[in-house]
Amino acid sequence: MSAFKLFKGGDIATEDKRELTRADVLVEGGKIKQVAQNIAAPKDCEVIDCTGKILLPALFDVHVHAREPGQEQKENIASCSEAAINGGVTGFVMMPNTLPAIDSAGVVKTVLESAAKCRIPIYTSGAITKGREGKELAAIGAMKAAGVVMITDDGFPVSNPVVLRRAMEYARDFGLILASHCETMELSGKGSLHEGSLSYSLGLEGIPAISEEICLDRDIRIAQYTGAQVHIQHVTTARGMNTIRRFKEEGVKVTCEIAPHHLIFNHEDIGDYDTAYKMNPPLRTKEDNAALLQGLIDGVFDVIATDHAPHTPFEKNSDFASAPFGITGLETALVSLYHYFISKGTFGWDVIVKRYSAEPRRIIGLKPVPIIEGATAEFIVFNPNATTTFTKEFMKSKSVNTPFLDKTLQGSVEHVILNGKILLGR
Amino acid sequence: MTPRKDLLDIQSLTDEELEFILVNAVPFKNLFKRSVKKVPTLRGRTVLTLFYEPSTRTRSSFEVAASRLSADVINFSVSTSSVVKGESVLDTISTLEAMRTDYVVVRHGMSGIPNLIAKNTTASVINAGDGFHAHPTQALLDVFTMKEVFGGDVRGSRIAFVGDIQHSRVARSTNLLCRRMGMATAMLAPGSLIPRDTPKEISVFTNWDELYAWKPDVIYLLRVQMERQNVPFFPSVGEYHRLYGLTDERLKRVRDSGIYVMHPGPVNRGVELNDSVMTYDRCLIDQQVENGIAVRMSVLYWLKPGSVVEEAKS
Repeated sequence: MSAFKLFKGGDIATEDKRELTRADVLVEGGKIKQVAQNIAAPKDCEVIDCTGKILLPALFDVHVHAREPGQEQKENIASCSEAAINGGVTGFVMMPNTLPAIDSAGVVKTVLESAAKCRIPIYTSGAITKGREGKELAAIGAMKAAGVVMITDDGFPVSNPVVLRRAMEYARDFGLILASHCETMELSGKGSLHEGSLSYSLGLEGIPAISEEICLDRDIRIAQYTGAQVHIQHVTTARGMNTIRRFKEEGVKVTCEIAPHHLIFNHEDIGDYDTAYKMNPPLRTKEDNAALLQGLIDGVFDVIATDHAPHTPFEKNSDFASAPFGITGLETALVSLYHYFISKGTFGWDVIVKRYSAEPRRIIGLKPVPIIEGATAEFIVFNPNATTTFTKEFMKSKSVNTPFLDKTLQGSVEHVILNGKILLGR
Repeated sequence: MTPRKDLLDIQSLTDEELEFILVNAVPFKNLFKRSVKKVPTLRGRTVLTLFYEPSTRTRSSFEVAASRLSADVINFSVSTSSVVKGESVLDTISTLEAMRTDYVVVRHGMSGIPNLIAKNTTASVINAGDGFHAHPTQALLDVFTMKEVFGGDVRGSRIAFVGDIQHSRVARSTNLLCRRMGMATAMLAPGSLIPRDTPKEISVFTNWDELYAWKPDVIYLLRVQMERQNVPFFPSVGEYHRLYGLTDERLKRVRDSGIYVMHPGPVNRGVELNDSVMTYDRCLIDQQVENGIAVRMSVLYWLKPGSVVEEAKS
């Protein structure tokens, strides 16, 4: 292996300005040695032509279902980590809704052992309550000591407000962020998609927007009352977003995330019962898409997170109500955001760098990975002129439950570099 | 007209197909007056009924329709007791596929199951009612019946649905077809049984006085099902009957205005209607049943049987 790598002629993206900067990037070992124009290649140097391409800090996803332990037919930590690399993601946080749930130091250690074998750093969250049942607090202190970076019962809310209050008061003193899946279970009932025109015409029970909005409002109020730091997962409605905006203005310690699919798709896309569009929280309306997109541009959303949720074709090939909730996202997120928004000028690369690389790392206490001299070499080379076809063969995840399956989108993640090593080269 | 494999809902029918089905149901109905009611149209074809929800009427109606077309009819026994999910339905379908049936008539408690089956079989699939989604043959027979009553043209007539709209595939399909045929439609039910996202062109009423004032030509009663309700939608059957049912008192007014009464059956006496409705001379329930057979014959005649596709391939 050469001692040096020179990425020549690319445009570098940063989190604080929309304009890109043309510069060469010289990597020595694991570090960025120099960022400047017209760097001459030193001896023993691999040169990667990046003309017309974008260099951006590698991505980080705070919401990933790696399915290990217990549901390895859908995904495991190893396949999930390769899916991440395939999408330009060099780190993520796993959700604890496994079998058994990640609700004790023992399970935390087990999953972190699997994670340590992967080519990228992987972090885990732990459950708020034992078995994610919403009744008794899980071993939050012990899990923190074992390395969890977040607690959440994701997939379920903590329905009982007293339990949530105790959890927030307890987690607060460990400096742990509590992530909330906001849903009022009684209002959601057996719903399988947004309650609206499509749930009416398909004759399916709907999940009303208020199911999410009421719980979201409640959770932030409890955070405000207890002084805890709460992170609202996968926001889907304009009203919910505006609630967060208002509480942020009041100074409440609340962060929140948006999933790419809630920006790109709406409930009408379900069409003829297509389960590739079934996830929880569900796709809402076109109006919500537009409002959420504006919210991302305005900075209401701290982070973009995919809620990568693999399921097997067998499970998804069922009637809409019976099929499981969730779609994969790690491999498609960046290309789809480029295809639908950046390439059209809706927002710039700075939004991606800030919301899908820098801020996700900051909210769990990591440092961002900007492309500057002296920093760790952890970045992506993105080719806006190439396309990506998301075939089964392309995907590294064990599952292919995505609306993008077999679709061709503009843009391609060509190189992924971590600690100076090329993890992916196309 | 392009041959079509499945009848899953009303939306996907073209005007030409609608016309074809409704027009051809007439000669099929004329057969019923003869002593021999059978024609050889579907001789050698197999019609399989697959009912995951208990139903005597619809199932027998399809069976009679298929027999009168000389098809072989097979009742495939499946569990109606518990919730059978799509994945196990597909297992059954692969079995049926091996049996090379031409038509599968399916009823299921979950919306979208017939669509799922249709994507996974070469047989022709007829939706005989799925969840709250659709019941296209019911809609067709309802409109056929109204055409008979209104001298061939239903355009401009007014129909009001009364009852559990929220959980009714009949309300969805028949209402949709009525609007396509140029009828005005309305609904009356407790607010908790009216879907929030009801299309705006449907008038929604909260009491009978509003309904009378709308001057309906037909009142279409829907079955009120307590069993669907985990959190009750209304306080009691008694209160429902008093406020929303077709009571004797209301029937008097309905009779005086010459309004027709329809119901998809089976009826709940003392809930959505009183016994006296059954003997009201403008109650069309029996006519709906008879027409159901003719319309279903017409649907079977119109659809392209599944195994034709197979023959073309081999």
